[in-house]
Amino acid sequence: MPVAEGKSVQQTVELLTRKLEILGAEKQGTFCVDCETYHTAASTLGSQGQAGKLMYVMHNSEYPLSCFALFENGPCLIADTNFDVLMVKLKGFFQSAKASKIETRGTRYQYCDFLVKVGTVTMGPSARGISVEVEYGPCVVASDCWSLLLEFLQSFLGSHTPGAPAVFGNRHDAIYGPADTMVQYMELFNKIRKQQQVPVAGIR
Amino acid sequence: MADVLSVGVNLEAFAQAISAIQALRSSVSRVFDCLKDGMRNKETLEGREKAFIAHFQDNLHSVNRDLNELERLSNLVGKPSENHPLHNSGLLSLDPVQDKTPLYSQLLQAYKWSNKLQYHAGLASGLLNQQSLKRSANQMGVSAKRRPKAQPTTLVLPLQYVDDVISRIDRMFPEMSIHLSRPNGTSAMLLVTLGKVLKVIVVMRSLFIDRTIVKGYNENVYTEDGKLDIWSKSSYQVFQKVTDHATTALLHYQLPQMPDVVVRSFMTWLRSYIKLFQAPCQRCGKFLQDGLPPTWRDFRTLEAFHDTCRQ
Repeated sequence: MPVAEGKSVQQTVELLTRKLEILGAEKQGTFCVDCETYHTAASTLGSQGQAGKLMYVMHNSEYPLSCFALFENGPCLIADTNFDVLMVKLKGFFQSAKASKIETRGTRYQYCDFLVKVGTVTMGPSARGISVEVEYGPCVVASDCWSLLLEFLQSFLGSHTPGAPAVFGNRHDAIYGPADTMVQYMELFNKIRKQQQVPVAGIR
Repeated sequence: MADVLSVGVNLEAFAQAISAIQALRSSVSRVFDCLKDGMRNKETLEGREKAFIAHFQDNLHSVNRDLNELERLSNLVGKPSENHPLHNSGLLSLDPVQDKTPLYSQLLQAYKWSNKLQYHAGLASGLLNQQSLKRSANQMGVSAKRRPKAQPTTLVLPLQYVDDVISRIDRMFPEMSIHLSRPNGTSAMLLVTLGKVLKVIVVMRSLFIDRTIVKGYNENVYTEDGKLDIWSKSSYQVFQKVTDHATTALLHYQLPQMPDVVVRSFMTWLRSYIKLFQAPCQRCGKFLQDGLPPTWRDFRTLEAFHDTCRQ
């Protein structure tokens, strides 16, 4: 969702939430997703000049007891929240990147069986963009309900509706899980990090 | 009005009857007075007795006369309340204190209501009889004599037969898996899993489907003690709607003589929900209406419609 000309991130978020409320969505508290980047410590790198891998440790308020650890294009590990303590112990192997923490905070809306989360993505002190997550609970196979989701997105995003996320293509018949959501958030955060001030919408 | 008038004509007779009653009462009290006073004021015992008997006889004659008079008058008065449509309650209209107790007008209102109710109920029962929703073999017209014969055939079927029918249906639809269990005696409960879309709990009585509940594929269908949860509904609005439609389908598919065909057609209908989230409405061409996908499936064509888009 690009920020409209001459308007701040804050104003665009307000515009979005107002549209949702006109649609009939009910406010249901807030949500928060955060992500911290770790890179493999220099001392453990092989002599072949192999590049250090990046690992992302993420939390989602939707799953308050879990902690997600993801590698780029790699596996996703779902652990208890104690995992954070473990990361401190693994300092020798994984080092936290300085000022890499990126998070999105916002309001959670419910409209029929849809769950909509509109959040402001912040990195450090500055707002970088807007994330829109749409979840359709009754359907467990993402590709089955994509056209349905698209129609719903058009109803409040208008012409800014994004294309189908990559997750859908890879495994078109698999059951959607929390990890899939986190992978999408990770990709979204990475995009925001690379492109300054060009926000993208992530869709479940 | 006519009743009020006829009562007015008889008023004369009424007045006479009332005075006749008064006369009767006084003559009767005279009899008792005479009995109370006894024999007295006569010189001889015989004279006293004679005078007393004569006096007593006179009194009784006058009682008799008054009574006859009253009977004659009562025939004249007649029974005015008989021919009133509300019978004795019609006399309430004569009550002069209308404002304090509007009993009569309320009574008329109630009478009209009940008349209308009877009329409408008669119409409704006529219409309902044309489109009977009874699913068992004994229909309305069947006489009481024949009824016991028709009943046992469809309700008491061997368990093996039920199992066969269900497993045949299970094999018929590859994307549908049916798990049969009998937690409470002979009645079967089916857990139907349709693709990765939904789960349906079907409660059977012999080969009749008694109840269905539709839930999401990721929803829990068991209670805490591991039994099928046949009471709680789905937490998603979509599946609550589909549950309603499935119940409608149960009433639609009925063929008392061939219960297996009914189950098969119901399952065929249910199978069309495999595209619940993928099929747009055949009428408006959209996916969503009020946040819900097309939840209705036509009974014959199995096409998808929104609840409000179907004819």
